[in-house]
Amino acid sequence: MNTKKLLGFAVFLLAVFVLVPLFIGATGRVDFFYTLTSVALLSVGAAGVWLTFYIGRINIGQGAYALVGGYVSAILVTQAGVPFWLTLPLAGLFCAAISVVIGLPILRLRGVYFAMVTLVLTEVARLSALALPVTNGAKGITSIPLPGELSLFGLTIIPAFGSLSNPRIGFYMMAVVLMVVTYLVLWRIVNSRLGHLCRSLQQNEELSASIGVNTAYLRVLAYAISSFFGGIAGAMFASIAQSIYPSSFVVADSVNFMLYCFLGGLGYVFGPMLGTLLLYFGWDLLSIAKQYQLLIYSGVMILLMLVLPNGVLSLLDKKEGRA
Amino acid sequence: MSTILQIKNITKRYGGLTAVNDVSFDVNKGEILSVIGPNGAGKSTLFKLISSFVPATSGEVLFNGERISSLAPHKVARMGVVRTFQETTIFRSMTVRENIIVSHHLRSKASLFGFFLGTKQAKEDEAAFAASADDIVDFLGLQAIRNELASNLPQGHLRALGMAIGLATDPKVILLDEPFAGMNHDETMKMVGLVRRLRDERGVTVLLVEHDMPAVMKISDRIVCINFGQKLAEGTPQEIRENEKVIEAYLGSEDAAIGM
Amino acid sequence: MEQIIANGLYLGAQYALIALGLTLIFSLMNVLNFAHGQMYVFGGFVTYTVVVQLGLPFIVGLFASAVVLAVMGAAIEKFLFAPVVRRSKRDESTMLLAAGVAFFLDAVILLFFGEKQRGVPKIVNGVFNWDMRIIMPYDRILIGVLAILLIVVFIAFMNYSKTGRAMRALAQDKMAAQLMGVNVARYSMIGFALGAMLAGLVGGLLVTITGVNLGMGGPTSIKAFLMIMIGGAGVISGAIAGGFILGMMESVGLTVLSAYGDITYLVIFASLMVFLAVRPQGLMGKPWG
Repeated sequence: MNTKKLLGFAVFLLAVFVLVPLFIGATGRVDFFYTLTSVALLSVGAAGVWLTFYIGRINIGQGAYALVGGYVSAILVTQAGVPFWLTLPLAGLFCAAISVVIGLPILRLRGVYFAMVTLVLTEVARLSALALPVTNGAKGITSIPLPGELSLFGLTIIPAFGSLSNPRIGFYMMAVVLMVVTYLVLWRIVNSRLGHLCRSLQQNEELSASIGVNTAYLRVLAYAISSFFGGIAGAMFASIAQSIYPSSFVVADSVNFMLYCFLGGLGYVFGPMLGTLLLYFGWDLLSIAKQYQLLIYSGVMILLMLVLPNGVLSLLDKKEGRA
Repeated sequence: MSTILQIKNITKRYGGLTAVNDVSFDVNKGEILSVIGPNGAGKSTLFKLISSFVPATSGEVLFNGERISSLAPHKVARMGVVRTFQETTIFRSMTVRENIIVSHHLRSKASLFGFFLGTKQAKEDEAAFAASADDIVDFLGLQAIRNELASNLPQGHLRALGMAIGLATDPKVILLDEPFAGMNHDETMKMVGLVRRLRDERGVTVLLVEHDMPAVMKISDRIVCINFGQKLAEGTPQEIRENEKVIEAYLGSEDAAIGM
Repeated sequence: MEQIIANGLYLGAQYALIALGLTLIFSLMNVLNFAHGQMYVFGGFVTYTVVVQLGLPFIVGLFASAVVLAVMGAAIEKFLFAPVVRRSKRDESTMLLAAGVAFFLDAVILLFFGEKQRGVPKIVNGVFNWDMRIIMPYDRILIGVLAILLIVVFIAFMNYSKTGRAMRALAQDKMAAQLMGVNVARYSMIGFALGAMLAGLVGGLLVTITGVNLGMGGPTSIKAFLMIMIGGAGVISGAIAGGFILGMMESVGLTVLSAYGDITYLVIFASLMVFLAVRPQGLMGKPWG
């Protein structure tokens, strides 16, 4: 990292950890904490979708993994008494594991075909949650206890959320930490050989195989990482809402994940974060329009597509003279 | 001279159509061998069979005595048999240099996770790849366009880039798919020189498929001629030129006159 | 057994009609119409409005659904998809536009028709009973027959009319069709209108039996995607096959698997995954569409 990037990163950290809480404290809009927590967590899921875009696949199935992750964490916490902080990585790993099983056959599909299958996947996750005994059907899992204390060698790293005077700030901080770590990982992936190979896959799978890249393995690997992100985002969501239902993540959420990526720009690591912020915040602000909320939201989206059919960040492309 | 590649009784059927029928020949280490034949003779299919991009119906391909047919394409490449593509198959939105660097994948000693963490080995690998890429750029005379986006390149340069990508994998045998197609005389002669240097300076065995006769006659140590999916003849350019069957096959088709 | 087959045929006919519209749009423009389910729901609401609120005969309602949706489809193609297809660099763009249109139609349905489930009174009464082997209300039989009739008309139209032939040429090879003088812009619009009209017609047919509500759009689109994945995207015969296969599977599943709870779609999806692993292009599709 050069100094300019480091500086930018420092400014970003300052903004999310200090300035935003200060701003919210000053304006008294405590509800923004909840909105921004959602933005942070959704952008973690969107980061995964972006990675599958990066290997040239249109992924409209992230809602499925978010749902599965949420259930895994909720079940482990409520039924096995596993501490939440342990269930977080477990949820991610579980999602990564099933994504390998699902990915092996479906990642051979391309374009619209892959997109359709992933879309159906979200619906299947919902139906599974309704049908399986362990998920408690439509009633879902409720009254999930708040995350407890996380300590290492007797040192408290994160205090129990129940003991906090304002758990909202706690959740916000936690979600943002998760987001920052996720995007650092993503940034590192993209800028290492792993990312270069993903790009080679996106641009020409045959040529990629001819230079000795195990394309099938790489596709599954990228998809598993993507699903891991989806899983931890879902687990965190379930914990914050203290509940999870089959309808917690539905097809519209999967579509939204894809929209966040697209709006933010598929060529930029931090695109999905920006996209999530714009769309989710925009949606939230539009709630003043009451019954016209969806109409305006979708109308603006259609207009954007008409004006900028290649995504919002294509404006940047022109400026930099990139193709 | 030792044999590096053996093609043994290879056959490919698509439904009722036999594209390649019981073709056998050997490729010696360090030679330039061309496969020729009229359009639709099955050259391209044969090519894909050797690089294992399509599975053979029967028969096999051996590399240094080891069976490589039925292996996944990336494994064949890993063993040192690398193909280039007929069409302008390149990584379009990478620069020339990026194209070549990424194609060094097979030479990496660090694991993908190592690259992610940025270990010492990974850094050494990346430095070595960059140096080798510059070396290849010099070798092929691509200095002027090294930072050009591949999608902006004219066709002649694309062909060279395709070869550069192949070279980056450090191949023992390189399969060139119609390297002279669509080139004028000057360009062809330049490419002929390049392919020779590939063998002479880099020690790569070259197997190429082509129907530009004069170039093939000039460049090849040996030639295999196929028609209707079957091997018609095999020999030195001189022998091929005088082979009755070959002449017949070419006169019988509308294809370009054999370069005599 | 006979009952399962009869149910499957009845469902399959509806599904095939929906899939036909979707596949037509896909084959002409390479657009995956996310809004297809919403168009179906919209069609249902139009029929409901005409029949229940205006008190006109059912056939008028059905006709109105067809006209409204055809006009809507044509407008969406001309003013939204055509410009975006022309200027965008990637496939994803049209997919996003389609998602936007789906949300937009949901919003419009919400504003115009509200959230409530709406239905039309039975158009014929009575139940057909063949020796307790097949029991089916007459209105279902009528709707099923109408749907099959529409499929036949559609196939005949695609095969024998000038417009249908032009569209088929366009779907097969855009460049060649253009060279032969087919007006691509015009037939893309007609195709989109026709696809939307089919969705609207099915909505109009089904509103008499199951009724429609706002939430049905998305799931209907997903079922339609399933069908064209089974049959192969962009192929007319594939859409019909996919529709009937899904209808049959659903019918069998609901009977055989009912003991295990609502897992029919899980089983269908699992089998689809296995199937696609063997045959990624579907039953009748071309590799990679």
